[in-house]
Amino acid sequence: MPYPFLLKIAAVTLWRSWRATAVLSFMIVTAVAALVFLSALAVGTNDAMIRNSTGLFSGHIAASGIREADVAQLAMPGVSHVLVRRHLPVILRHNSLIEPVALVGIDPDREQEATALPGKTVAGRYPVAGEAAISISQDTADRLGLAVGDAVTVADGQGVGLKSLTVSGLYRTGITQLDQGMAFCPAAALPAGAASVSAAFFLDADTPLDTTVARYRQRFPAGTFTPWTEFMPDLKQLIDLEYICMAIVVTLVFAIVAVGISCSFLIFTLKNLREHGIMKAMGLEAGETALLLLIQIGLLTIAAAALGTLAGTLTTAVFAHTGIDISTFTSHNQYFAVSGILYPRLTGEALLTPPLVAVVFGLAASIWPIVYIIRKNPADILRNF
Amino acid sequence: MLDLQGVSRHFISGRGHVAALHDISFAVEGGQAVVLTGRSGSGKTTLLNCIGTLDLPDAGAILYQGTNICTLSSRQRNLFRRRQVGFVFQAGNLLPWLTIAENLQFPLELNGIRGAAQQRRIEELLAVFGLSGYDKALPAELSGGELQRIAFARAIAHAPAILLADEPTASLDSDNSRRLVELMLALCTARGTMLFIATHDQELAGMIETVIPLKDGKMETRP
Repeated sequence: MPYPFLLKIAAVTLWRSWRATAVLSFMIVTAVAALVFLSALAVGTNDAMIRNSTGLFSGHIAASGIREADVAQLAMPGVSHVLVRRHLPVILRHNSLIEPVALVGIDPDREQEATALPGKTVAGRYPVAGEAAISISQDTADRLGLAVGDAVTVADGQGVGLKSLTVSGLYRTGITQLDQGMAFCPAAALPAGAASVSAAFFLDADTPLDTTVARYRQRFPAGTFTPWTEFMPDLKQLIDLEYICMAIVVTLVFAIVAVGISCSFLIFTLKNLREHGIMKAMGLEAGETALLLLIQIGLLTIAAAALGTLAGTLTTAVFAHTGIDISTFTSHNQYFAVSGILYPRLTGEALLTPPLVAVVFGLAASIWPIVYIIRKNPADILRNF
Repeated sequence: MLDLQGVSRHFISGRGHVAALHDISFAVEGGQAVVLTGRSGSGKTTLLNCIGTLDLPDAGAILYQGTNICTLSSRQRNLFRRRQVGFVFQAGNLLPWLTIAENLQFPLELNGIRGAAQQRRIEELLAVFGLSGYDKALPAELSGGELQRIAFARAIAHAPAILLADEPTASLDSDNSRRLVELMLALCTARGTMLFIATHDQELAGMIETVIPLKDGKMETRP
């Protein structure tokens, strides 16, 4: 029998017994839609953790050992912001109290554009360009007995006073590296000295991290360029772990769904057992019977997977627009230091994996009904009706 | 010619070893009609199944044009059934999700009759059976008599040499039964098709010259 006629029979069988088809499809549609959304949510969660972790201060790529001569040439396509910072180890002194810190000379306007640290100010305000002001952490202020508006002396390693700066604001991030041993002032207010130059690079959403790092390393061999995956290996591992968990979830869900599909399709096939008996009696061969059932299950699974993908995509689009606020569960989590709002995002993998897995498992689930029908003698089938 | 030689078929059931057919022998020529009569369980359907290669006898031979069809391979039996046999089952047994035209198309596709020839054949069959205009209807939309006519049309669509009808009039009233059998006889005679009808309807049996009564799997008289 030619394939087009088998395809036609398979299609009209599904179409004209639409109630049974709808019930069979429901499980696949639901599973695919849920997994597309869950995959997008996993990507969104990872995005949020990366965004929070890199967006607070460090950027996607941290560079050190930058030569002053190279500072003006650090911009590159796909890099949205390059924040140049000058680090000077100093001692902050207030009355008799001292605290060693790395004083970072920054461009306050650019820092406010690209990082979330200015938003972590808990008292006063972030310094503005040109003023002789300093932003210190709440911890440092407590240790030095400082408050907003107080003057603090900036001294060198020998305790020689270099400059006096006014505390413009206090910040708290919850991250030890930032809350202890660092302070910020406008670059112009940084005392003269042998400051080292560092830079933070913020990439556009679609800019590849590793390629960009490689380009910088090639272009500026004197500098050290480190992607966030290296200076935050814990976050990298957490994200990898989440993808593995997601893959396990997808596989488990579809293993269960496949058993469901197989049982449902066997019931569907048994409902039409008499018709299969008639077709076999008329001379439909075992291979043709298998192909007919395979086409039926294939069509059903592909259509249901497509519908599920559409439903999952629409759901993702809605939540990508509104966001999902999980701040209640992330207030003490360093990876959500800036914002606890997730924006599910579909990637090619997140979009295609669930329907592809559904089709593969659906076809695997067809083996049982196919073997059952092929092994049945048409005379036995017809005798029982 | 179809020649049955000592055909026997046994089943093992809850009642033990049951002889569904025992030493059945007769011969039928092309164009000849045979009616198999007997009560339920007498072996009529088993005999039709053996002739149609849906079932295999335990003993004996069924020769079709000199070839013992019982010794054919599974695939060969399947092809024999596809090309040489037409079935009319009880209550029509059309494929419910296919339209009338698609039901008629099925045996034609199986036998490689496609395109314009297929379309002509379907139209011709619908016209002969008085069902022109029903091509797009689904079986559920037809009456019992119409369904049986379509079932018969489907069975002869590919011009088989042997037509097997198992209680074809079971769901019909006497008028429709008589009309259907008359049509079957006329068409099979005209085409030289061997016609086997299994029935317990004595009136129908009276319409056909060759009657083989079966009782407990045995022929009561030989034709």
